[in-house]
Amino acid sequence: MIQLKEIDKYIESRFQRVFILKGIHLTINEGEFITLMGPSGAGKSTLLNILGLLDEDYDGDYFFAERNIRNMRDKERANLHKGEFGYIFQAYHLIDELTVYENIETPLLYRNVSSGERKSIIANLLDRFNMVAKKDLFPAQLSGGQQQLVGIARAIAGRPRVLLADEPTGNLHSAQAKEIMEIFKELHAEGTTIIQATHARENADFGTRLITLVDGRIETDEVITS
Amino acid sequence: MWKNYLKVSFRNLKKRKLYTGINLLGLTIALVSFFVISLYIYHEWSYDRMYSGSDRIYKFNQEFVSGGERQLVSTTPSKLVPTLMEEFPEVETGTLVFDLSIFTSVMVDAGEGNQEESRFAFVDENFYKVFDFEILAGQKVNLLNEPNQLVLTENTAKRYFGSAQNAEGKSLKVDGQEYLITGVMEDFPSNSHLDFDFLASFKTHRHGKNPEWSPSNYYSYAKLRADADLEAFEAKLPQMVEKYLGEDQKEYGFETAFFTQPVTNIHLGDQALSSVKPGTDVKYLYIFGVVAILLIAIGIINYVNLATAEATERNKEVGLRKVLGADRPQLFGQFVSESMILTFGAAVLSLLIIYLIAPQFVKLGGVPLDLSLLFSLPGMLVLAGLVIVVGLLSGMYPSVILSGLEPIKALGNKVKIGGGAWVRKSLVVFQFFVSMGLLIATFVVKSQLDYMQDVNLGYQREHVVALPYHYNMRKSIEYVKQEMLRTGSAESIALAADMPIHIKAGYTIFPGGDNQKEFMITGYSVDKDLVNTIGLKILAGENFTEQDISRNVGNDSSLEFPVILNEAALERLGWSPEDAIGKKVSYGGSMAYVKAVVGDFYFNSLHHQVEPLGIFIDPDQANVLLVKMPAGNPAEHLATLESTWKKMVPDRPFNYKFIDQEYAQMYRSEERVGAIFGLFSGIAIFIACMGLFGLVSYVALRRTREISIRKVLGATQKDVIGVLSADFFRLLAISAVLAIGFGIWFSNAWLAAFANRATVGLWPYLSAILVVLLLALVTIGYRSWKVFTLNPSKTLKSD
Repeated sequence: MIQLKEIDKYIESRFQRVFILKGIHLTINEGEFITLMGPSGAGKSTLLNILGLLDEDYDGDYFFAERNIRNMRDKERANLHKGEFGYIFQAYHLIDELTVYENIETPLLYRNVSSGERKSIIANLLDRFNMVAKKDLFPAQLSGGQQQLVGIARAIAGRPRVLLADEPTGNLHSAQAKEIMEIFKELHAEGTTIIQATHARENADFGTRLITLVDGRIETDEVITS
Repeated sequence: MWKNYLKVSFRNLKKRKLYTGINLLGLTIALVSFFVISLYIYHEWSYDRMYSGSDRIYKFNQEFVSGGERQLVSTTPSKLVPTLMEEFPEVETGTLVFDLSIFTSVMVDAGEGNQEESRFAFVDENFYKVFDFEILAGQKVNLLNEPNQLVLTENTAKRYFGSAQNAEGKSLKVDGQEYLITGVMEDFPSNSHLDFDFLASFKTHRHGKNPEWSPSNYYSYAKLRADADLEAFEAKLPQMVEKYLGEDQKEYGFETAFFTQPVTNIHLGDQALSSVKPGTDVKYLYIFGVVAILLIAIGIINYVNLATAEATERNKEVGLRKVLGADRPQLFGQFVSESMILTFGAAVLSLLIIYLIAPQFVKLGGVPLDLSLLFSLPGMLVLAGLVIVVGLLSGMYPSVILSGLEPIKALGNKVKIGGGAWVRKSLVVFQFFVSMGLLIATFVVKSQLDYMQDVNLGYQREHVVALPYHYNMRKSIEYVKQEMLRTGSAESIALAADMPIHIKAGYTIFPGGDNQKEFMITGYSVDKDLVNTIGLKILAGENFTEQDISRNVGNDSSLEFPVILNEAALERLGWSPEDAIGKKVSYGGSMAYVKAVVGDFYFNSLHHQVEPLGIFIDPDQANVLLVKMPAGNPAEHLATLESTWKKMVPDRPFNYKFIDQEYAQMYRSEERVGAIFGLFSGIAIFIACMGLFGLVSYVALRRTREISIRKVLGATQKDVIGVLSADFFRLLAISAVLAIGFGIWFSNAWLAAFANRATVGLWPYLSAILVVLLLALVTIGYRSWKVFTLNPSKTLKSD
């Protein structure tokens, strides 16, 4: 589904180029659950951003479903971004001014989903994550784990084919982290392609493939069997 | 979608109270000012548009050329209207209005003694066919067909009879003559150039029975047929003049031409043409319009500045929304809806405020604000349009900036919204340029007003009162004068045609025998005591004495009457004061000799230079009794004068006017401009300072850490203020330079209207700039103080 060829990402400083990613070659098939690991600064987040079309400032080619991203028109790229990807962040990044319900609703609004459909999608998600009672609360009134649940619900509300998660459990204690990972596993079982970046080795066990990045290069790429 | 925008916007506004408060207040004040000015401009514009077919109603004026002098006269002969109606098929109907107050007031008696009334006019029987005012009582037609008929306005009817219905059929005595009240009409609307309390049938008047081509004392109006060709009609007027006035023109050497003026153009048109009510110079409406737009601009700029400054705090939200799939138009909608809500809120608030202040405004500005207009459908549509325009203008720039952020950078809080800094800076410069500019304008206007009040007019206007004099009092006036002088409450008393502040009568003059040198001179008919009463300075010759004869002594052309000329007249004649004494002049058609020369004094508004003036004795033309009171308590002297008056002239009321107060009144429209400039420059400064406060707040917030570090390193409060204010003062300096440029232009343009100008020094510029700088410093200082007093241990902990 996704193919990266010779991806370089660097910062031009006055005396030299500092590479963040160097020669990334990567093929991701539909239905994989990939974990990116590596020390801080290895380029995990950068790679996720490139995969999620949030960063277009790099060298090399990116094919999504056999089509080169660079050859797409802005509108197509925007639609791809909207329709195929969901994002989950370490710091949850919920909108403080919106309630749980409205946070989940936001991506649907931007996708022009009809009001009736929105209601049923959100109702299902709230039910699934046991948040029905909390739907009118604001993010500040929730625990970190609950906030990340809302973050996940929001990310999958638009039924994306690819879920990108940047340290989704980084701010959570282990019990909450485990709960999140169980949900990822479920989503994966339902067919969603998941790519997560993490520092925690145990999270990789929920996935199907583990890629280790060091200094902007892929050092290892192994299949996980559980 | 929109529901979501609105909801989020509301919550955002609620959360950031300072930001919302400043913007709301700024926009509200700007909108209130805008609405008030708009309503005022509309009121002035709407003058005389309420009559049916008002676009076909014309007033007739004449241009009068004599001895090379061209004069515009707004009054016409009584024969004009009947001739127009008879001989011109284009004329549907015409009417004549004789405003008696030009000459005199009347005494009205409803059986309870005389009351002086000045808003009295004679109109002919077609008046209501041209000006279809509503008739509240009486028959609708033929109201003023017969002599001695009278129509009252509603208010007058209430004053005399309690109600309109009561008044109909009653009678009133006007100057001893009995009138039958045949009808009561609505009060003249405030936006009609006509404004009277009493309308009497013109047939009562001598010229109503037998119209003539002289004198020209009457306002003439005609309503043309809908299909009439105005140009063709006007082209035929000279033939009419030739037919009826041709011989007189040749014999007396003058030329006259009639020209039309649309009735809707009277109020704002040529101010040289007098009318029942003083008009408004359309220039002022433009100035006020510009001020209104500037104030709105300042309100919008506040919003733009604060919203962009504040954008740094919202970049996370924006980035997030982008990640979640928002595209630019959607984000744009979100931010514009926020500014729309604010603007809408401000509009509602401002309507409420206008509703509350409207009555005060009527008292202050003398102009009624027609609120029903604002609350009508078109008013609401304009309002809605304004909200959309202001909302869009305010929201546009911040929206573009915010929606253009790169999501990943925004999420990482790495963004500095620095790219648009120059826009924000130039907006601040603009705001303070407008504030300073308006303040400079205020001070320039003020210095001219002060100059006009303090200038030496060439005569004594303090302690001089004018009492109304009527021809009927001529037999007893000498005794009245004697008695008043005897009480000691009068030092000198003179009869005069008018107060010395505005003398108008025009005469021709030329040195004996040489009519090639004819020119126009203003004539002042007085009695022998004028020079002493108003303290004129005699440069040569002798004052009038008991023995001097009146100009109006009869038709004996061998008798030359004495005249006192001013310096301006001598200059035209080319004589020195000493030479002039005893010289013969032809004055208004009869022979006179120069008895004395007085120093120039201002007998007209300071818009004009002192023109030639000739003073002569003719008490029969007098309308006022000028009384010079001794210095000291004026109330006491007035009381003495009043009791003398009551005793000697029991049938006429004692109405006094102080000359110096009347003089001050002449500059009312300038005073009003000054007051409006003052008010709105105050508002502009207030809004701009609020905006500055907001901006400094954000800068301070962003630099809290820096300031805390400086404080730890030993910076004093003064240093911190310096750090925070340095940038702003650079901007204010640019504003000041621009404002000075504007001020120089303005003072030249504004003062050009005055023949006698104050010398505007540096002080309006310096004080305006200092005032604004000081307020800005206070604003910045207060904000800096708040930051400075924060405990560094707390502000530094978060890093």
